[in-house]
Amino acid sequence: MNAPTSFGTSTIIAESPVVRISRAAPCARLSLRARGDLAPLGSALGLALPTKVGQRAAVGDLEACCLGPDEWMLHAPEGSAEEIRSACAHVYEAHPHSLVDVSGREVTLVIDGPRAADLLTLGMARDPDSIAVGEGRRTLVDGVTVILWRDAVDLFYLDVWNSFAPHLMQLFETGCRELAAETLESKGHTRLDEDRQTVISEAVIASPHAEELRGWKSRLARAGIGWA
Amino acid sequence: MNYRVPGKGRVVADAPVTFTFDGKIYRGLAGDTVASALLANGVHLMGRSFKYHRPRGPVAAGSEEPNALVGTRRDRGRFEPNTRATVQEIWDGLETTSQNNYPSLKWDIGAVNDAAYMLFSAGFYYKTFMWPRNFWHKVYEPFIRAAAGLGISPTEEDPDSYASRYLHCDVLIVGAGPAGLAAARAAGADGLRVVLLDENAEAGGTLLSEPQAEIDGKPAWDWLATELSVLKALGVRIMTRTTAIGYYHQNMIGMVEKLTDHLAELPADTPRERMWRVRAKRVVLAQGAMEKPLVFHGNDRPGVMLAGAAQTFLNRYGVLVGRKPVVVTSHDSAWYAAFDMADAGARVQAIVDTRETVRDDLMVEAKRRDIRVKLGHTVTATKGRLRVTSLRVNPVRDGKLGFGAMIPCDAVLMSGGWTPSLHLFSHTKGSLAWDEDLTTFLPKTTPEDCVIAGASRGLWGIEAALADGAEMGRATAQALGRKPNAQSYTVTADRTGSGDSQRELPTDLNPAAAKAFVDYQNDVTAKDLRLAVREGMRSIEHVKRYTTNGMATDQGKMSNINGLNIAADALGKSQPDVGLTTFRPPYTPTSFGAFAGYHRGTHFEVTRKTQIDSWAEENGAVFEPVGQWRRAWYFPQPGESMDEAVRRECVATRASLGIFDASTLGKIEIVGPDAVEFMNRAYTNPWTKLAPGRCRYGLLLGDDGFIRDDGVIGRLSADRFHVTTTTGGAARVLNMMEDYLQTEWPDLNVWLTSTTEQWATVAINGPNAAKLLKPLVEGVEIGDDTFPHMSCTECTVAGMQARLFRVSFTGEIGFEVNVPAPMGRKLWETLWEAGQQFDVCAYGTETMHVLRAEKGYIIVGQDTDGTVTPKDAGLAWAIGKKKPDFIGKRGLERPDLVAERRRHLVGLLTDDGSKLEEGAQIVFDPAQEVPMKMVGHVTSSYHSDAVGQPIALALVEGGQQRMGETVHIPTPDRTIAAKITSTVFLDPENSRLKI
Repeated sequence: MNAPTSFGTSTIIAESPVVRISRAAPCARLSLRARGDLAPLGSALGLALPTKVGQRAAVGDLEACCLGPDEWMLHAPEGSAEEIRSACAHVYEAHPHSLVDVSGREVTLVIDGPRAADLLTLGMARDPDSIAVGEGRRTLVDGVTVILWRDAVDLFYLDVWNSFAPHLMQLFETGCRELAAETLESKGHTRLDEDRQTVISEAVIASPHAEELRGWKSRLARAGIGWA
Repeated sequence: MNYRVPGKGRVVADAPVTFTFDGKIYRGLAGDTVASALLANGVHLMGRSFKYHRPRGPVAAGSEEPNALVGTRRDRGRFEPNTRATVQEIWDGLETTSQNNYPSLKWDIGAVNDAAYMLFSAGFYYKTFMWPRNFWHKVYEPFIRAAAGLGISPTEEDPDSYASRYLHCDVLIVGAGPAGLAAARAAGADGLRVVLLDENAEAGGTLLSEPQAEIDGKPAWDWLATELSVLKALGVRIMTRTTAIGYYHQNMIGMVEKLTDHLAELPADTPRERMWRVRAKRVVLAQGAMEKPLVFHGNDRPGVMLAGAAQTFLNRYGVLVGRKPVVVTSHDSAWYAAFDMADAGARVQAIVDTRETVRDDLMVEAKRRDIRVKLGHTVTATKGRLRVTSLRVNPVRDGKLGFGAMIPCDAVLMSGGWTPSLHLFSHTKGSLAWDEDLTTFLPKTTPEDCVIAGASRGLWGIEAALADGAEMGRATAQALGRKPNAQSYTVTADRTGSGDSQRELPTDLNPAAAKAFVDYQNDVTAKDLRLAVREGMRSIEHVKRYTTNGMATDQGKMSNINGLNIAADALGKSQPDVGLTTFRPPYTPTSFGAFAGYHRGTHFEVTRKTQIDSWAEENGAVFEPVGQWRRAWYFPQPGESMDEAVRRECVATRASLGIFDASTLGKIEIVGPDAVEFMNRAYTNPWTKLAPGRCRYGLLLGDDGFIRDDGVIGRLSADRFHVTTTTGGAARVLNMMEDYLQTEWPDLNVWLTSTTEQWATVAINGPNAAKLLKPLVEGVEIGDDTFPHMSCTECTVAGMQARLFRVSFTGEIGFEVNVPAPMGRKLWETLWEAGQQFDVCAYGTETMHVLRAEKGYIIVGQDTDGTVTPKDAGLAWAIGKKKPDFIGKRGLERPDLVAERRRHLVGLLTDDGSKLEEGAQIVFDPAQEVPMKMVGHVTSSYHSDAVGQPIALALVEGGQQRMGETVHIPTPDRTIAAKITSTVFLDPENSRLKI
């Protein structure tokens, strides 16, 4: 059975001492497209839309990631899509935009653990270090389009369309076992990991939205799991 | 016989390892390769050559080995042919076998080829097997395939797993010899991410074979151990058993890491090999140089090997390759091999040097060891059946050969100088420059961010390599804006040297009978190369293909320069004028598994499944692939054939009720003030007057005017359209629309969002469709007046938020219910339960195809093939005649697209009531001569209970003007006559659509 809706009650897909893959709880997702003056839309949403690709902004439970020059992905609590749509509908006449409910289109996988970034390298051509903590990107993993949200050095959220999720989960299950079987020291990872932290902590400080970012702990809590 | 030298080498003396070769048990030591362990047991004969089946032993000690190819086996399925014995490490229980011999390695029947060598000269395939022409497939090719070839392909499925990973680094250093190590030390500073890789089991390169050197006062191996720990502390990632196989654009390097081939026990969850795709900001190539053989008659006999290889076997593995070796050389380096062998207890029979004079210090060292020296000599022959037993040498004075003398020996160590390894550098499209002094090509410029260091750019000696590596590492760090580690090195007991380059050595024997090998693996001799030139080959690329020189799995690592020198001499040109053949990836043979990585078995390719797929599986559906999707094809009941199941599904749907999972249909939401304008420009149909809440069949063309896609499109509000596309066309259509929007119509205020997977879609069809749906729907009254055919609305169905379309792809009353994807299965089960009172039937794609064909609805991609216009398909009505423009409008005006006799989509009914084959060709006159003029083909064909006989759709020349005429479909056993009809076989008045 492939359907993400019926993976059973457990949210854990694969787990090892070095990385864990689980399913996040459902949420509302909206694809927002707009250009020109974004302030009225920002007011309607109650959140200043970030304008640099990869940047994120969040207020309360609403979070936006800029995916393109006129494109954002919004995440909000489950069931709130209609509310957000009608809030934005009020400014549609003056500020036309496209807001499409895609809550059912994709699922979110949570990848966390000391080797979370390494797990992604099994199928992602992009350097994980190029996604700073607090940023997000649309990219490809094993040929599948995903949106990655990096909430901590070792914590990623990965949005993927329903029908592609089983393929990625299969890869991640394999990778979880593979990484667990490796001995870190002999591979010389230590240094790379330290580097990664340096790069990322700099980026966090530099991000104008750093303070708006929702803490990764709250996202983990939303996913119903905690990292010991 | 034990050829192990106690106290020598890096093998572990107290860790014996047992393995087999051709069924016989041998003992080696931990750290041995198959080759070093066999040599330690006195075994040189390890294989037979490709063409002449000549006995062969290892000629090299590394990955360039052309001869010692063996089969390796671990257990069932884990067999690999053509493994280089000089690379494969031994472990307890390893089984190895020789190849290319029958009945045995020592007595091989194929060696008759060797006696008949005159038949197998250059280009013999082209000459011998030219005619008669029809002999090729039946006689020649099977013969060649049986006679030639190396190992045998494995027949069992490979139980190993393979992996892949991406890696990003600042500096990638290929080769962990002195140059690479020094480069890593210099660049491994200031936060740079440095990766140092080596194909060998351990880092060190030349240092492993030259323990006599002292670096900064430390013995080479002590220095190496310290240096490696320093590098690790600096954070340099050192990867051994990892080969850089190819250098691609923008510093993308492919590397294959071998993880388990050296282990006796396979660790859990560990792949056998991993393909690394590395993106490096800067690359340092430090691959070193490879020794060239000398070309003389009998230079392939087991026991004849490169002097540097003998030195490696001695110093790294503690193995004497012979007790009575003779050294033959044109380069200083081989003299040191003689000295090392003598110091380890061998009785070196002589050093034969082609040069008239050599350095005094070498002469002194030889004399000190009582080694006979023969300067100004050539080698003219070797003797010995399965192992060299003697060498014939002649003095050369003023170009004339003196009498030959035989030197008894058990090994011949040869050196023709060294060739820088330029393989990866050449992959970058780097240019090369000929160096006359070194008689070799050297790297010149490369378009990549890459430098080349050490012996691979012609530098000789450990100190020179260290200094160059340090300099290149420094330059690399600086280029990245970082501060390098400053480092300098002093080396004592360094073995620098120089030499002459040779063609085939002069001989006093019949040169036409000489077997002086240039390419060992492909059995190409010097005389083959000269013959190729005599027969008209001028370019080195032609010489290569005619003789197959350099075309074996070793890619000419040893043969290229010798081959070039000989070809250039035969042509009377200089080497750079003749040119060098292209080096291509992979650097060394690479397993298919490494390329496939994770993509095998169930992970071979993405298989997309809908939310309802699980229900279909539980209910016995047979699936078919449609693009990346797998879709329920039909739902056979126990004992039913496909035909029976499909007929039952068709009948049930037309009689009462059928439901169908249509979730894979592509869906695009088009939103914005200019949405209707966008629709007008993209689709052929007019959209302005389509009222919100209504749907229309839309036709999408390419700019050439041919049909690309179609689907029903609903207008949800003035500014919002819900577009559906074909299953396979979803991504293509969205891309095409985005392309037009971004490049042609950036003025339009409209946005496109893929909603294919937002919605799970269930199609409900049949006379009872409305009755099923009516009680479940809230928000709209289901009726012909309140919700007529081709309506759409947002409502709730069974309590679920839904987009409801009243459309029909069957000709029956039809609805498509869209609910958010996670609700898909719940909707399906609700409809299934509620439908029981109407004997609901779940149907698959095959029934859908039949039902639509009965109504003449086309399937884009089945009834169209990219050359069909709307008019051809009978869909001219879908073109908005008054629209100023739409994609394909101008294309439709091309003369060939408005021509009269185009192929039109029509219906066919066979006279004898038989079912036609899809794809069958159609002719007008079955009595005409073969080849007949084909005037069309059958695109769709099905049994149809509703029509009462099989139906078919076909593209037929001028078909729309030929209604009622008979055409003929020739088949292998008979010709079938069929009448041209309308494409609509059932209910042309659409009376069944009414509730």
